[in-house]
Amino acid sequence: MIKAYILILTYVGNLKAVLEEMRKLENIESIAVVAGDYDIIVKAKVNSLEELMELTDKIHAIKGVKRTNTQVIEKEIET
Amino acid sequence: MRIRKKYLFYLLGILSSLTGAIVTTIDAYISSIVITDPWALCVVIFLAGIVITFILCLILSLPFKQKSLGARIDPSFKRLRLLKKEEIPYHLMAGIGNAVATIAYFLIISTYKDPSATLAFFQIVILYLLFIESIVEKNAPTMAEIESSMIVTFGALLASFSLKGEINTYGLMIVFLLLNPAWVVFSIYQRKLKIMRINDSYNDSINIRFWNLVFTTLFTIVLVYFIKRDAIYLAIESLKYWKYFFLSMGITFFSYVLYIRALGLGKASVTQAVKSFTIIFSIPFSLALSKFTHITLFESPTHAVIKLIGIILVVMGVISFALTEVRAYIFIKAKTGYSMKELLDTIWKIRGIISVAAVAGKYDIIAKARMRTLGKGYERIIRALEKVKGIERFEWHSILKEWEEV
Repeated sequence: MIKAYILILTYVGNLKAVLEEMRKLENIESIAVVAGDYDIIVKAKVNSLEELMELTDKIHAIKGVKRTNTQVIEKEIET
Repeated sequence: MRIRKKYLFYLLGILSSLTGAIVTTIDAYISSIVITDPWALCVVIFLAGIVITFILCLILSLPFKQKSLGARIDPSFKRLRLLKKEEIPYHLMAGIGNAVATIAYFLIISTYKDPSATLAFFQIVILYLLFIESIVEKNAPTMAEIESSMIVTFGALLASFSLKGEINTYGLMIVFLLLNPAWVVFSIYQRKLKIMRINDSYNDSINIRFWNLVFTTLFTIVLVYFIKRDAIYLAIESLKYWKYFFLSMGITFFSYVLYIRALGLGKASVTQAVKSFTIIFSIPFSLALSKFTHITLFESPTHAVIKLIGIILVVMGVISFALTEVRAYIFIKAKTGYSMKELLDTIWKIRGIISVAAVAGKYDIIAKARMRTLGKGYERIIRALEKVKGIERFEWHSILKEWEEV
């Protein structure tokens, strides 16, 4: 099981439409709208790096997505 | 389904309260009409509970569209399974907690004619949980949480008071020294079990409920055997009324599964506060019940007003809990020459950090924080991060809205 954070920057005025498309995607654990350098932070859970690539491809294909930055999780501690 | 986590938590808590209110009504009917000895009732209801819970768990283990039926209630559930070694100590503690709380509850019921005024103090359990959490959990309560808890606690206390019952020192001692502490042990260990990782995924509430019932029944039988042995024989004789017990414990199963799931999402004190909605839901059921039994809901207009004030306080307290929560992601760039493992541990120990992950990419660590106000975020988290030597820089991203897979 591979987990990753995908940090997404959108074009101004497209946030709502991008979110709606994003919520239809599979292999996503959480979606957060944030205030800062990025607009959306997605936590993905996939079986392989190939699946992660497919997911980022799908995100790139969403109209309104400007740039993504994928951070693969190596170790995680959570409550 | 992907919904906002906050909504899911409150939905689970409120649904658990609703089913809890139905169970309380059925139990009130059983104890006044079917079996009047509270000790025997305590034993027989747990015995029947194991049977009906086992049947329900087997049904929920059946596959349905590539998942189990139970995965519709708790996505972590696959099938009924045997306990893992690491779960046993927690189940023992939760089982003792539940058994002692149940015994204490029935002890008051069997000792006093009208225990309603004394039992109302059970609502103070939220304050016990807050106190314990501030000692054992890394997420200590904030002023906003203490305020909301006080509002809910006193609201619940007012709403469950009876003007007829007497407040008795012995009864109060049982509530404060036995019932409330035992319930705290039960809640804390159920929560620990829920957030435990089993086979690389979260523990499921359905297995937790089943095994808790097994341990609780065991401890209850032992305790009742020493306190009132005759009740065991009476309980076995009363098994002929199994239909009533199956109905009560069948609904209880769903009430607890929802409660345990909610415990996995929020602190035990906040979950307990949301569960105070039971008092509100119990009103229509009690009204229906009063048609069939001698139980009366409002003893006088004054009593109705007191109850109403209590209910308003409970609702206000829970809303105030829901509205005062802030979350944020923190992207951290580490300095070279520092151990990543130690850095992760240091950040994890900061109060308010709920997850921390070492990542490969532009940043080195991504942490997630939860706090009641942004001010607390600065005081507790940013100031603590600035003191960590291995951090080169960090970026704070406040979460404006969040959806999670449920």
